Amino acid sequence: MSTAIDIKNLSYSYGNGPVLKDISFSIQKGDFFIIIGPNGSGKTTLLKTISGIIKPQRGQLEILGQSIRSYTRKVLAKTIAFVPQMVQVDFPFTVSELVLMGRSPYLGLLGLEREKDIKIAEHAMAFTGVEHLARRRLDQLSGGERQRVFIARAICQDSEIILLDEPTASLDLAHQVRVMDLMERLKKEKSVTVIMVSHDVNLAAMYGDRLLLINKGKIVSMGRSDEVLTFQALEEAYGCTLLVDESPIGKFPRITLVPQKFSNSGPLEK
Amino acid sequence: MTSKTPFLLKRLLIVSFLLLFLLFGAMFFGLSMGSSGNGVKAVWQSLSGAREADSMLSAIIWRIRFPRVVLAALVGATLSLGGLVFQALLRNPLAEAYILGISGGSAVGAIIGILMGLSRFPGVSFTAFAGSMSTLLLIFLISSGQTILKKDSLLLSGVMINAFCSAIIMFLVSMTYDSRLHNIMFWLMGDLSTADIRQVGILAASILPCFVLIFCLSNSMNMLLLGKEMAQTMGVNIKFVTVTLLVATSFMVSATVCHCGLIGFVGLVIPHLLRLLFGPDHRVLVPACMLGGGAYMVFCDLLARVLPEQGEMPAGVITAMIGAPLFIFLLKRSDLRKQG
Amino acid sequence: MKQRCSIIILLIVIALLFLMRGQSAARDVTDQSGRQVAAPDDPQRVVSLAPSITGIIFALGQEDRLKGVTMYSDFPSEATTLPKVGSYVRLDLERIVALRPDLCIATKDGNPREVVKRLESLKIPVYVVDPKNLDAVIETIIEIGNLLHANERAKYLVWDIRSRIDLVKSLVAKAAHRPKVFYQIGTSPIVSVGTHTFIHELIMLAGGKNLAEGPISYPRFSREQVLALSPDVFIITSMEKDRAFERVKAEWSRWPDLPAVRNEAIFLVDSDLFDRPTPRLVDALELLVRLIHPELFEEEP
Repeated sequence: MSTAIDIKNLSYSYGNGPVLKDISFSIQKGDFFIIIGPNGSGKTTLLKTISGIIKPQRGQLEILGQSIRSYTRKVLAKTIAFVPQMVQVDFPFTVSELVLMGRSPYLGLLGLEREKDIKIAEHAMAFTGVEHLARRRLDQLSGGERQRVFIARAICQDSEIILLDEPTASLDLAHQVRVMDLMERLKKEKSVTVIMVSHDVNLAAMYGDRLLLINKGKIVSMGRSDEVLTFQALEEAYGCTLLVDESPIGKFPRITLVPQKFSNSGPLEK
Repeated sequence: MTSKTPFLLKRLLIVSFLLLFLLFGAMFFGLSMGSSGNGVKAVWQSLSGAREADSMLSAIIWRIRFPRVVLAALVGATLSLGGLVFQALLRNPLAEAYILGISGGSAVGAIIGILMGLSRFPGVSFTAFAGSMSTLLLIFLISSGQTILKKDSLLLSGVMINAFCSAIIMFLVSMTYDSRLHNIMFWLMGDLSTADIRQVGILAASILPCFVLIFCLSNSMNMLLLGKEMAQTMGVNIKFVTVTLLVATSFMVSATVCHCGLIGFVGLVIPHLLRLLFGPDHRVLVPACMLGGGAYMVFCDLLARVLPEQGEMPAGVITAMIGAPLFIFLLKRSDLRKQG
Repeated sequence: MKQRCSIIILLIVIALLFLMRGQSAARDVTDQSGRQVAAPDDPQRVVSLAPSITGIIFALGQEDRLKGVTMYSDFPSEATTLPKVGSYVRLDLERIVALRPDLCIATKDGNPREVVKRLESLKIPVYVVDPKNLDAVIETIIEIGNLLHANERAKYLVWDIRSRIDLVKSLVAKAAHRPKVFYQIGTSPIVSVGTHTFIHELIMLAGGKNLAEGPISYPRFSREQVLALSPDVFIITSMEKDRAFERVKAEWSRWPDLPAVRNEAIFLVDSDLFDRPTPRLVDALELLVRLIHPELFEEEP
């Protein structure tokens, strides 16, 4: 069985109206799957539904072939790990304390860690390159470092699927690439299915095996980056002028924003 | 290979032993000082089983001071632990039973119970609990059922609720000619003088299970600090944990208010202090708050009994006088750290 | 052989007698709250848990037995030198126990019940009195006299009290009318006394009419209500300082239509005299008669 996630007729609405309208698609195991779309398209809601945080009002959601409803909380936690966008932490946890929290689905009531858990945590920290920060407090880290710590925590959950909510949103360029590379390594070395919501279409194009473009709660298109990232689809979804060509560094699309002041002149002229 | 955290168990044991020692020390001093005279030697003799120990002194130490010291330890433990739990649940370091208004609500419930002529246990305890739960509901209504993340709105709702409860209390007191409420003014400021070994025993029996329950949920509290959604993805049953913690804590707090009136700031100061010393891991903080909070309250009660020339001060006055400035100091220090 | 046996038996009997005597050094009495108290035969270390009880003990001349009093036991002045055990609503258990009392005397209304219970659990006998009116005060004097081996003195005291009351009664019988009396014990709010207080009894015995009579013991009045009642006499107690009295007097004097103001019948009295259930209540009564019916005294030669 190679389907990681299978969604059929998913619908969800709250307060102001429907957020997800009759969504159906599936994600293959081992894919680097990136969901893109404008603000308010429902992409974060979709991610939260997959992670079990939100319960859909209609539709079916299967994870590794089993309905999500059949999973107990702990087993679900061992299957799916979630990395949030930005976590406000007022309390002075150290990096290693936070990373170790990722092991809690495997531990008993008090969560007393064993030697094995500590080794897993150390390995995760090394993987994400934060082992030298182990004793530092979370509020003393930069945004990029903190993001990697949370990823390390998620890795400790030892899950087949990792969900990330706009992980590169507030990171500088170097860290953006670093995080994406990390995800790729996870996918390749540990066969983890990576599902990510991203606001950065270029990064999505560069890294995603499959993309999902969602707008106003409906799927616009799904597939390889060159299939999904057409300028008509993107312009309609994002509501602005875009130029789509092939990236000079590889066989994937490159999307360029075309602000008003450039739109009258030809694409390649000044 | 560098090991980052020493095994949790080792840390837990060390901290617990340290604070247990502190608690016993505080209790020892509490037993040896009082309005009829101070004598460390007398307590020592009494403990070592010297039969010549004066029976009057014995009576004073064991039948008057001992229940009171035990009560103080229980109250301190409850209020500290309560503060810790609210801070984790509401993700707000300023949360505490008194500030949130939950103690105030319990007091209103308790007074209504007294006026209805109910006995302290179970009648007044029940009305006090009802009062605390109503206040809890009120808090959540004010915050429209969502997590109170902003510090300001939490404090504001607490101020409002406390003002409301004070008004009701003042109204009830002024309207009644009931002689039972004669001591109410003292009780409202925190009064540990009515300690009676049987009642203290009942209180302990009702509170200790709450302590155990909260300790079992301490790992979940760690994860709750990252946010409800995050905790859920790590396997925590949010609804169950939240409701259990809230009910258990409100119950503990209302039981202590029912016995001893309003004592504030303990739940603010002790968790902060202990967090600074021992880190934010609740699995260590929960027992630490129980023991450290107990020691602190025994000490405060000692001051309340010994400082005035005649009679005694209300314990709540001491905790406020120590707690408020200490809290301002902690606040400034954490602000500086955030900037630096 | 037989002689030795009988001597041993005699010794045993004597020993038993001594033992029994030791046990009967306490006697069972019923106090005024209906409780059975194992009061000692000859109490040597008595602690009084209310100022009124202190007053009675001194009046009975048994102050040597008294080892501890409450904070506001200020009459007679000798009482102030005795060790204090807290105030009568907030008793200090430790200090009481430290005095090793063999008997404590408490009041039903003032002292909290829990404290009485705790003293009992510490094996200290507590005799509770309930002097809620003049007759009960007399009863109390007799009972305390009984407890403290001062029966003679108690009888004399009671005779004195009764005859002085009778004198007042006969004097008052000659009065033509009952002036309306407003007895004020608070300024903000204005509080007076209801039917179930000593003061009411005293006012009635002194030939006055208590304007605040009714079921509530300490009813509150607004200024309007007092004015509407149109008192003939104001009696104000010294709960606060004397300066407060001048202010209160000036306040009422602003209403010259009040009979009390017209007749200059606004008086200050010592509150301790009036609301403590001690023999001094008769002094209070005598004072009241002079204030309410001055005309009865002008006629005397």
